[in-house]
Amino acid sequence: MICLGVKVAIKGDLLLEMKGVHKRFGGAIALQGTDLSIRAGEIHALLGENGAGKSTMLKILAGVHVNDEGIIQIGEKDFITGSPQESINQGIAVIYQEPSLFLDLSLAENVFIGRQPKKGIAIDWAFAEEEAARLFDELGVHLDPKRQARGLSIADQQVVEIAKALSMNANIILMDEPTAALSASEVERLMTVMRSLRSANKAVIFVSHRLDEVFAISDHITVLRDGATVSESRTTSTDLQRVIREMVGRELTELYPKNEHPIGDVVLEVDGLTNPAYFRNISFKVRAGEIVALAGLVGSGRSEVARAIFGVDQYETGTVKIKNINLKKGSPVEAMAQKIALVPEDRRQQGLFMAAGVNQNISMESFDQLKGKVFLNFKKERALTDIWRDKLSIKFVNQSDPVDRLSGGNQQKTVLAKWLATDPDFLIVDEPTRGIDVGTKSEVHRLIDKAAGEGKAILMISSELPEVLGMADRIIVMREGHQVAEFSRKEATQEKIIEAATTGKKG
Amino acid sequence: MATIFKSRQISRETSLGIILIFSVGLTGFINPRFLTGDGTRDLLTSTATVALLAIGIAPIIIMRHIDLSIASTVGLSAWVIADFCAKNPGFTWVQCFIIGGVIGIMVGALNGLLVAGLRLPSLVVTLGTLYIVRGGVYVVSNSVDYNAQEMPPSLLNLGQKVFFSVLPFPFLLVIIATIVTAWCMKYTKPGRDCYAIGSNPHAADLVGLKVFRRTFLAFVFSGFMSGIGGVFYLMRFAQVDSTAFYGQELAVVAACVIGGVTILGGSGTVTGALIGALLVQTIQGGLAALGVDAFWKSAINGFLLIVAIFADRRLAARSERALLAQRIRERE
Amino acid sequence: MSVNTVDKTAKRRRFTFTWDTSILLLLLLVCVLASLTTDNFLSAINISQIFSNSSEILIIGFALTFLIITGEIDLSVASILALSSSLLGWSYSQGAPIWLAILIALAVGSLCGFFNGFLVTKVGLGSLAVTIGALALYRGIANGILGTNTVNEFPDFWTSFGFDTIGTSAIPKTLPAIIFLGIVFALLLHNTPFGRRTLAIGLSPEAARFAGINVVRHKIIVFTFTGFMSGVAGVVYTFRFSTAQADNGVGLELLVISACLLGGVSIFGGVGTMWGVVAGVLLAGSVESWLTLREINAQWRTIVTGLLLLISVAAPVLVGKYKAKAGKI
Repeated sequence: MICLGVKVAIKGDLLLEMKGVHKRFGGAIALQGTDLSIRAGEIHALLGENGAGKSTMLKILAGVHVNDEGIIQIGEKDFITGSPQESINQGIAVIYQEPSLFLDLSLAENVFIGRQPKKGIAIDWAFAEEEAARLFDELGVHLDPKRQARGLSIADQQVVEIAKALSMNANIILMDEPTAALSASEVERLMTVMRSLRSANKAVIFVSHRLDEVFAISDHITVLRDGATVSESRTTSTDLQRVIREMVGRELTELYPKNEHPIGDVVLEVDGLTNPAYFRNISFKVRAGEIVALAGLVGSGRSEVARAIFGVDQYETGTVKIKNINLKKGSPVEAMAQKIALVPEDRRQQGLFMAAGVNQNISMESFDQLKGKVFLNFKKERALTDIWRDKLSIKFVNQSDPVDRLSGGNQQKTVLAKWLATDPDFLIVDEPTRGIDVGTKSEVHRLIDKAAGEGKAILMISSELPEVLGMADRIIVMREGHQVAEFSRKEATQEKIIEAATTGKKG
Repeated sequence: MATIFKSRQISRETSLGIILIFSVGLTGFINPRFLTGDGTRDLLTSTATVALLAIGIAPIIIMRHIDLSIASTVGLSAWVIADFCAKNPGFTWVQCFIIGGVIGIMVGALNGLLVAGLRLPSLVVTLGTLYIVRGGVYVVSNSVDYNAQEMPPSLLNLGQKVFFSVLPFPFLLVIIATIVTAWCMKYTKPGRDCYAIGSNPHAADLVGLKVFRRTFLAFVFSGFMSGIGGVFYLMRFAQVDSTAFYGQELAVVAACVIGGVTILGGSGTVTGALIGALLVQTIQGGLAALGVDAFWKSAINGFLLIVAIFADRRLAARSERALLAQRIRERE
Repeated sequence: MSVNTVDKTAKRRRFTFTWDTSILLLLLLVCVLASLTTDNFLSAINISQIFSNSSEILIIGFALTFLIITGEIDLSVASILALSSSLLGWSYSQGAPIWLAILIALAVGSLCGFFNGFLVTKVGLGSLAVTIGALALYRGIANGILGTNTVNEFPDFWTSFGFDTIGTSAIPKTLPAIIFLGIVFALLLHNTPFGRRTLAIGLSPEAARFAGINVVRHKIIVFTFTGFMSGVAGVVYTFRFSTAQADNGVGLELLVISACLLGGVSIFGGVGTMWGVVAGVLLAGSVESWLTLREINAQWRTIVTGLLLLISVAAPVLVGKYKAKAGKI
């Protein structure tokens, strides 16, 4: 009924072809020669590590980014890039990891948002609700089109988004980590939905890290590594081990500035830490001079553990002991008093005050160093900023320049400076080198190593395997909120870590 | 689980309606005159202007904006109409409505351009126009008052007209306005877009909704209703000076919020706003009948508003908790 | 109300810094023009009049600035003023010694502020809607206590303090106190950890949490403080006019808020300076004074306040757009 001039496809038709696609963001290369072919009536998995380029590919198809080089064709025609509206017109729909529905509106309205069916001048709600119900049925799901979207689980919201895509006659449905927030039964249901789409001769491209699911549902697998396509195979003609090797199979040519440090007493001890919604029964120790890495997929609960230790989030049961003293939960002030520091995951929203100056950011935790009796001493603040600028080689023009003018790397260094200035005994760094250029990355690694050398105990959360293997003395792997494996530096390999992170099995 | 599935909107209006009936009954019990034709007529007359404005401002609040200039616009409109009438004795009520509407639209358009066009915060913008209009009234009126002699008789008669001996003409207009606006909010795209924009402004942009157009229209509508409110004022009081309708903006917002149009945006109905206005008026009538000093009137308004917001928050918290419980189950 | 994108705030901050300098220049301009076009503008009497008339606005403004900077708002300040004033009058007329009456007024103000803060932070209700309700609630209570009565008899010492001048000069006795308060608050905002934390919360409540700031407690303190200062304003108002009545200060909240916004405090939070606010208040007061001396309808002041308010928010956006077009960004 709502026709957008998109051809209905026959099974096997070549719907999408990408050849040699390149994309850079400033100095960083996201894609350097990716290929992809998608046919009607198939479920196609896109695999690769963090930063391999999967998201960028999806976003180019969704019309959010424009590729610099390469050929992209939809059916016979050239793909019109750079406009989400055009992507929709060409039959491409995207389901993001976090669906953004209009929570106050009904499901039927969400499906038909902006395109409500009309009877004369009035909106025909009866028709919309019927159609929505029909779409839900087609997808094999029971949802009431009249109900409000608020209160719907992520899984159900996804189904609504898929129904919306269908109602717009999408032929290619992109899904970015669709099962990341789903329970086992919801994953089952989503797979049923995907199969329905396949029978209707649509193509589903999905990005996922859950390799067991990938092998259960997909027909084809394309593996990306460092921005290029490494392999494209039928799922039945490949296997888990091979795919893992293709994902990570690089030589570790980057030297990590890791020195052996004398390891001292236990500084932090976590025992049975549980917050039922995010993680259960987490127990580990970190010693002075030691770097312990917390590895795992996005959503495995690592950052939540870190926040719970630091006190920004709460936990239900378990204990945290710092230097053998029980740490009060839920109080960052207490944690800071006990010399704990947390460099958070999202430096823009959590680590920095973007509109404030470099000096104000660096001094935020160090007021006692700056105070006279009552008032802040601006001279001391300037001096403090200078010291850390030199120590960490932070590049900026004026101290009072808003931090959002700095590059990502320098911003991250500012956050590090802020916390190192408190001289912590226990330092947590969450994705310390995410989104940073290569040069600054190794500077940051040097700094972390130096901190360990000074006797600090360090917990490093990272999704980048080379970093984890290069820096850590011990690696703890989390999956779905549970602690599943621990490896020493010697015994750890990329394959073992990924396998533990995706399937929960130790190598 | 059933509570999650119940649409929040349905339960709010229905429960409000029940509370209203209950309040009317209670007030009538305390003061039997309240339930008579006279009493009803008085209630509806005193509610009419606030109700009209509440209907006008509801779409704006649904879109997560606010319009503080409404009361000043009423005053401006009332005075300008009176001025025209005094200088043109041949005017009928038709011209009055037209002038009122035009003035209201002009103020609304100014607000709309600034908020929708320049994306300025509506609180600040309408605070500014509140001042400009209020000052404008003082300056333009130069302390000249008008009273019943200068008003067109047709207008005053209309103001006195009562249907079925309980329904005053202004309130009839209010009912018509409610029906029409409610219909538009439910069955037209501009109306539905208001809800979408208020519910998730970011997604609304992404999906390609015409945010500028809808926001502008909402402010023009609110202005228009305020302009007509000026006509209502004249019909009721038959006189006007430069302080007409001073300070009532917050009473209107309160009526809306109590009526279920949550300040967070995205939900609430025009019908709810109407019921909210009636409810506030009824409760005050009831308290007056109980011998509670009229001076506590405003305290009660404030209290009701806080209770209403509190109820909103509890409902929102409930669905958050349900989602969290689901998460916990998933992680097992 | 506290929705802001990080980048917008940055742009706003860069311009607003220029804005509060502009406000000072505007103030200077107005003073110059006024003194040229009237006889008495720069006379000591007139200047002190301007200060006197702005006393309450300044007093409340000092505290409200902190509140707006944290990203909240309080529309009930004028009602707290009225309630404090009413309680001052009522308890004094019931026989309480004046010092006790003053204390009661201040305590009630703080309590109201605390109540507001509690509802907003602990219960999680939006500050705009809540303080709209509180506005009606507090004034209503004031009405309930005094009704239409006014209390006019107060000890001479206090009323003269509010009304008189120092010695034979034209300087009102209240002026040094206000100047002192102004300096204290400016220092508090710009030179203390408390002030820094206030700005931090406004810039990014989430980052503030991660920085170990107890956002809830901080906001409650600021709300209570605002209530306290509204109480102080209520006391000052009562003595200045020798009148305690429930109608005191109607509409004052909008004057205070507009003065703060005029002074460069961003409605989104995180940005603002105390001298900007003082300049904003004095600018509004000077314009009114100028109009009165020229015997122009003082209501033009209202129009001018409205226009300035609109300009204060529109200018940064327009300038930003112009710069973008000219390719400078």
